[in-house]
Order: sequence, then structure tokens, then C-alpha cells
Amino acid sequence: MTNSQFRLSAAEAEQPPVVTVSGDIDLANVNEFQEVLNGAAANSDAITVDLSDVSYCDSAAVRALFSVAATTKLALIVPAAGPISTLLSISGLDRVATVATRD
Amino acid sequence: MHRILERMQTDLLDALGLAITVYDKRHDTHPAVLAAQGVGAELVDAQLAGIGGPVPDALAHQVPVLSLDLWTDDRWPELTLAAVRDRAPQDESSWEQVHGAAAVPGVWADDATVVVCCALSQPANAATVASLINYEQLVSAALITTAAENATAIADIITVLQSRGAIEQAKGALMGLVCCDADHAWKMLRTASQEFNVKLRELAVALIEHISGAPAEQPATGAPITPDDRTREAARLMWAALSVEPLRQ
Repeated sequence: MTNSQFRLSAAEAEQPPVVTVSGDIDLANVNEFQEVLNGAAANSDAITVDLSDVSYCDSAAVRALFSVAATTKLALIVPAAGPISTLLSISGLDRVATVATRD
Repeated sequence: MHRILERMQTDLLDALGLAITVYDKRHDTHPAVLAAQGVGAELVDAQLAGIGGPVPDALAHQVPVLSLDLWTDDRWPELTLAAVRDRAPQDESSWEQVHGAAAVPGVWADDATVVVCCALSQPANAATVASLINYEQLVSAALITTAAENATAIADIITVLQSRGAIEQAKGALMGLVCCDADHAWKMLRTASQEFNVKLRELAVALIEHISGAPAEQPATGAPITPDDRTREAARLMWAALSVEPLRQ
């Protein structure tokens, strides 16, 4: 797992920082994911996490997203259909974060 | 356990009910409330009796579950104020105050899961879930210690924490291969471990190593789990059988 899997773009003008994720998020790299999220949230009261290129994510990622949402306003970008949006609605994460879809 | 619940109560001031539910799949019994405060036990019993709710969903999907308003949440149309009041009319005044709820699952032994949950007089938020995640780790550690009861406690904790990662990874791989949910993947792992008569956690490690062709990632603490040849063969057969299946259909 390389760093390039989690990319952080700094805040621009009115836009919050964006964390762009690709590939799998699982127990092997969830700590790294959490660190990038925390880093992004540390200097901002809102962050956007783009999950549109995530191929797999499980409970570990959901936990990480809940914990960052506890300290900052979280917006998510997810694929319109598929396991990730199912995971968000099962967990109720879509009720505490703003969710936008991308085809 | 009750001491943990007391600490949770001081952390979650809005909590009307707290509960720790355990499900030991080795005995194929039903999930049961291990410890509870307030209306926690009654609320979990109602959800497990077939009405549905955050606790059964957390068990089935192994993800944290949050609800802003339990009685009106569209995920559980049968979980209403009226339904719960009918089951436990003695707690009516508490039921009317319940709004938010959250449940966080964890695995503390090969075949045993736990769910820590709360019902609040306010809508639940991400901080509620973050707090439950911390307590789930505390509860799981306490369960492991209680289960071990003796000098092997530390070794068991390490083994379980190691296998926890491996089992999650193996479940993820199976979910991807056969397009099923976490619970189904878990059952496949359990069935295979019984059929081949190998330990579930070793099968999980062997499966990951078979798929990736590299050693499974394990925490640096303790002796890593190294599956024997019989377990590796079982993992190879299991993966081959599942990979071939869709082609035959």
C-alpha cells in the first residue's frame, strides 16, 4: 500500500480540503486512512472525502469515517450505486455526513 | 461489565438505555444481552425478537449503525414507539423520550461477536459512535480476559487481536469473490473450518496467503499465526471451489 492511495488536496478559496481515496480500504491500511483524515480535519472545520474510486471498503473504513465526523463536518462523494452506498445507508453514516454521488 | 456501563453512562449523558449483547456462534444459539442499564435490555430484546433495529443490523453486517430517531427510521419500519410500548408498557415514560440510537459491533473470539449499543434522548451523532467504538474495544478486551481467566489471558488477547485482522481480510476477500454480505462470508469460513476440521483463524490466514501469494499482515506483537500444510490445502480447495462455481451456472 503506497501513500498515493490517499491523496490530500489543500483547501482552496471557499472549498474545504479534499481527501481522494482509491483502491481497497481494509484493516491493512485503515490506520493510514485515519491519519490522512485526521490530518485534513486538524486545520479545517469541514472536509470532503472522495470515495468514488474505492474498490472495496468495510467496517474499518466506516469506523474511521465516523470518528472523523465526530470532530468535523464531513462530506462524502461516492459511486451512485454499489456496495459503498449500501454500507453508508446500513450504517447510517449518510445521516451525519453529506453524501453526493458520482456515476 | 457493569463498571464499563457506568463509565459509558457518564460519557453519554443523554443515554436512556445501554446494553452489551453477545453472540457466540459456536453454540448456534441466539444473541443475548450480557449486561444493560436503563431500558437497554428491553430495547435490545425487542429488536432481536424480529422487529429489527441497529443491534441486529450491526450483528449481521458487522458495521457501526447510527440512527437519528429510532422510532421513525425508515430502515426499521416495524420498530415504532407503539410496538416497543406494547412489549414493555412499564417503561412507557422512557420510550417516549428515546430519539437517537447507535450500535457498534466487534469480534472477541473466533466465533463470538459483541455489540455495544445505546439509546439517547437526543439524536445520535458521529461522536456517539466514536465513543461506542472506544467502549467496544474495552468490552472486547474484558470479554477475552474473562473467557481466559488465567495465565493464558495475555496470549489469548494477542491471538484474538491477530486473528481479528486476518478474519476480517478473509471475509472481505470472500465477499468480493462470491458477492455476498459479511454474515454470509463469515458462515462460509465457519462451515469450511468445520468441514476440513481446521482452526478458523488459521484458515483465514491461509486463505489470505493463498490469494495474495504473500504472508498475511499481522500485528508485530506475539507469535504470528502460521497455518500448517493441511490448513493451507483446505484454503486452496475452498478458494478453488468458490472460484469455479459461477462458471458452471
